[in-house]
Amino acid sequence: MSGRRSGSGVSSISDDQITHLVSKLQQLIPELCARRSHKASASKVLQETCDYIRNLHKEVEDLSDRLSQLLASIDTDNDQAAIVRSLLM
Amino acid sequence: MPNLEPSPVFKRRKTEGDPVSVHRIQSNQTMKRWTTKREHQIYSSKLFQALCRSRRTSSSTSAKELHQTADRVLAITAKGTTRWSRAILAAPLTAGTNMKKHKRAKVTVHTRLRKPVVNREKRKLPVVERKLKALRRLVPGCRKLSCNNLLEETSDYIVALEMQVRAMTAITEFLSRGEAQAPTDRLGSIGNM
Repeated sequence: MSGRRSGSGVSSISDDQITHLVSKLQQLIPELCARRSHKASASKVLQETCDYIRNLHKEVEDLSDRLSQLLASIDTDNDQAAIVRSLLM
Repeated sequence: MPNLEPSPVFKRRKTEGDPVSVHRIQSNQTMKRWTTKREHQIYSSKLFQALCRSRRTSSSTSAKELHQTADRVLAITAKGTTRWSRAILAAPLTAGTNMKKHKRAKVTVHTRLRKPVVNREKRKLPVVERKLKALRRLVPGCRKLSCNNLLEETSDYIVALEMQVRAMTAITEFLSRGEAQAPTDRLGSIGNM
């Protein structure tokens, strides 16, 4: 492929690759699936992807926070086996 | 046509078959690994057990440690097939902030301040390149990855994160519901989760 160097992955990425990357990512991001796919530019898709990942990170952070508080207040040792069984059902 | 040349990722994998077909199979398996109900159940129960274990060893579990545990269990589920999962497992526990400090110490302040101006004139990094760089920083272990491999890692990572959110939400709702009800009620009402 022209313009592709094996040393650093950042310089001169070909347009084809970017288009391919962008079209695939579009299918994964909920924001972009809802709208018509042809209208999203490469930079918009990449921006949405980054934002989406950051949002997911934030959600997991908030969930960790809640969970750590919940676990601190509950004594789970006795019920652990029962809880695991319920989660698996 | 997508360029599916072998990358270091494939050399480490122990599965048989030629790298190209393995790569294609991997994409289908990717979806199954993170989207089936079964995998979701396995992850949530594994995570819960890991959390109980860490609570027993240390007196309190901070949100940060919990987040780390959740990430590690998530990475284990990938079974070493993706770069981001290996990067998570290879990173030392709670030393993430130390490493970041080291990196910042190397870059002098005035260089960082000058960057936006220099970019436009000499570096001429287009917007897309900059965003690709930002994406690379968000996905663990992918800072030097090529475009195609970055795509694979990103799509896998996103779907995995979605499963992580679903599982942790389920555990949280389950536990908070359990508080309100009596222990015997808990088992009966969760069957439809």
